[in-house]
Amino acid sequence: MYLLRIAARNLFRRKKRTFIIASIMTLAVISFLLLESMMIAMMDMSFGNVIDFETPHIEIGRGEYFAEAEAGEILPLDETFSPDRELHQEIESLEGYTAKTGIIAFSGDFIAGRHEFPVQVRAVDPGTFSDVFRNEAFIVEGSFLEPGDEGVIIGAKLAEFFGLESGDFYTIRFRDADGSFNTIQGEVQGIVSTPHPDVNLRTVLVDKEYALSPLGIHEGEITQLMVRMENRELAVSQAEALRNALGTDELEVRSYRDAAQYIVSLETWGYIETYFILALILLVGAIGIISAVVLSAIERIKEIGMMKALGLKEGQIVRVFLFEAGGIGAIGAFIGCVIGAGLNFLFVTRGLPLGAFVDFSEIGIPLEETLYGAWNLSSFFVIFFVVLGISLAASIIPAYWAARKDPVTAIRHT
Amino acid sequence: MSLLTMEGVKKTYGKGQVEVHALRGVDLHIKQGEFTTIFGPSGSGKTTLLNLIGALDTPSEGNILFQGNHIGRMSRNEQALHRREHIGFIFQSYNLIPVLTAYENVEFSLKFSGKKLNHDLKKRVVHILEHVGLGEMMHRRPNELSGGQNQRVAVARALVKEPDLVLADEPTANLDTDTSKEVLEIMVRMNSELNTTFIFSTHDPMVMEYAKRLLEIRDGNISHDEMRE
Repeated sequence: MYLLRIAARNLFRRKKRTFIIASIMTLAVISFLLLESMMIAMMDMSFGNVIDFETPHIEIGRGEYFAEAEAGEILPLDETFSPDRELHQEIESLEGYTAKTGIIAFSGDFIAGRHEFPVQVRAVDPGTFSDVFRNEAFIVEGSFLEPGDEGVIIGAKLAEFFGLESGDFYTIRFRDADGSFNTIQGEVQGIVSTPHPDVNLRTVLVDKEYALSPLGIHEGEITQLMVRMENRELAVSQAEALRNALGTDELEVRSYRDAAQYIVSLETWGYIETYFILALILLVGAIGIISAVVLSAIERIKEIGMMKALGLKEGQIVRVFLFEAGGIGAIGAFIGCVIGAGLNFLFVTRGLPLGAFVDFSEIGIPLEETLYGAWNLSSFFVIFFVVLGISLAASIIPAYWAARKDPVTAIRHT
Repeated sequence: MSLLTMEGVKKTYGKGQVEVHALRGVDLHIKQGEFTTIFGPSGSGKTTLLNLIGALDTPSEGNILFQGNHIGRMSRNEQALHRREHIGFIFQSYNLIPVLTAYENVEFSLKFSGKKLNHDLKKRVVHILEHVGLGEMMHRRPNELSGGQNQRVAVARALVKEPDLVLADEPTANLDTDTSKEVLEIMVRMNSELNTTFIFSTHDPMVMEYAKRLLEIRDGNISHDEMRE
């Protein structure tokens, strides 16, 4: 108790020093909390948009189809499959299963007037599509597809690019399953403006029933079977369970994370960057703590000598310095948590207009223009104890250096 | 039985050509309750002798026995325990802990003497501070007290744990004559009331006047040992 009291009073005795070093720790905590909040928010939004508009929790297709798609080649229409009854039963028996829909995704050129633009066309079943994807909820003009419709649903950015409105004519040129050029034509039936910038620009939806014949694909064949689950947490484990249950190399089962490797990489690099920044600031803080303990020991060398003369063991003197270093860390971390919470509250409620600086559709990241922060209470505890731990660890060697001073020299020190 | 026995104690600092022989073979017996003053010129070895007696330093040769225990053979932690249980120190520059009040400085010493702080011991802290004339100022910090008052706190701190031996290194060097007298009288009173053994090192003739035993040290040897009434 006395050692703690001495440590606490010494912290306030050297207010300026305590304040400067604690401020570095505060800066580290605030930076970490805001970067972490931004990372969580970006990943939540990115994965959420991928699941809602691109690849839901689980997708099943031929391995070759995915391989060619990832290689950047045009989406191959000769890599289709017909889901059998057993596959449907296995999917429906998955824990957290909600809905499924089959699609035929292929590459094409969207043509209107004299202009054309490369897009991904998804021939979908309007009866089940909206059970899995949320595009329908974001119709801003016209209406969504009905079975047998010859129209298309295009994104707001694509419509803007071509100056199209619902009812205008379009043509999509593509290579069919035999590799021959073919087209489908009709009217723009609806325009969607989703939170996924890439979907707004590059994805076109067409009724599967209408597209089957020009695509040269037989009834019942699809490129992907898309499955929606109750939540994201179940997706990876249930994809694994389905993979094991099917036990075939012919079909590949992927979770949304497998399908969105670019976001997973982004997440990894984002965290590496966050921890790197944190490590740099904490390193500066740790050096500050070391110098503070050394300076404190030099200034109080007679006090150390007296404590030794009074019979305090080296371990007890070490504790005084550890308490002081821990106190600086705790003050810095606590203030950082308080300020970090305040700034994060603003971030969560008001958001950050990232769109003003970056056009995410250009770099293919599924983010909206305004990014809203996220709360992760465990981060507050983790960063508090990390800063406290680093402060204590940084002070151990200088504290022992101080405690091992020869009492005779220390007492006579002038 | 002697409280303290020193047999052929030598202390040498440095090595080779820069060797300094601070003590050259001291034999000494101190009994419980003695009020002894060590005097001698600067560099004669007074402080070295006090450091060895107080287990702050270890001898290069010879034995130091405190109540029959070899303090020169103790580990650093054992020496620390020995100091906190048996020795009280008073230094020329007080060496109080600046962030603690007078009361806390005294209680701190008691707290780390291995005794459990109970109501009686807290009363003892107050009592001893009153005894040294600081009853009204016990909640002031060292920077709010005069030099003499600080030295009184140091005396109270050394005595509160009722040690077997109090070592005082030039305790009056920074004090004026009147304050020196007051502090010395407190120590004389403690010596007679509690039978606490005191060993002083000093240049101050006034301190010598109070001593019951005078030890003169020259060139690392005790050159004169005189018992007084």
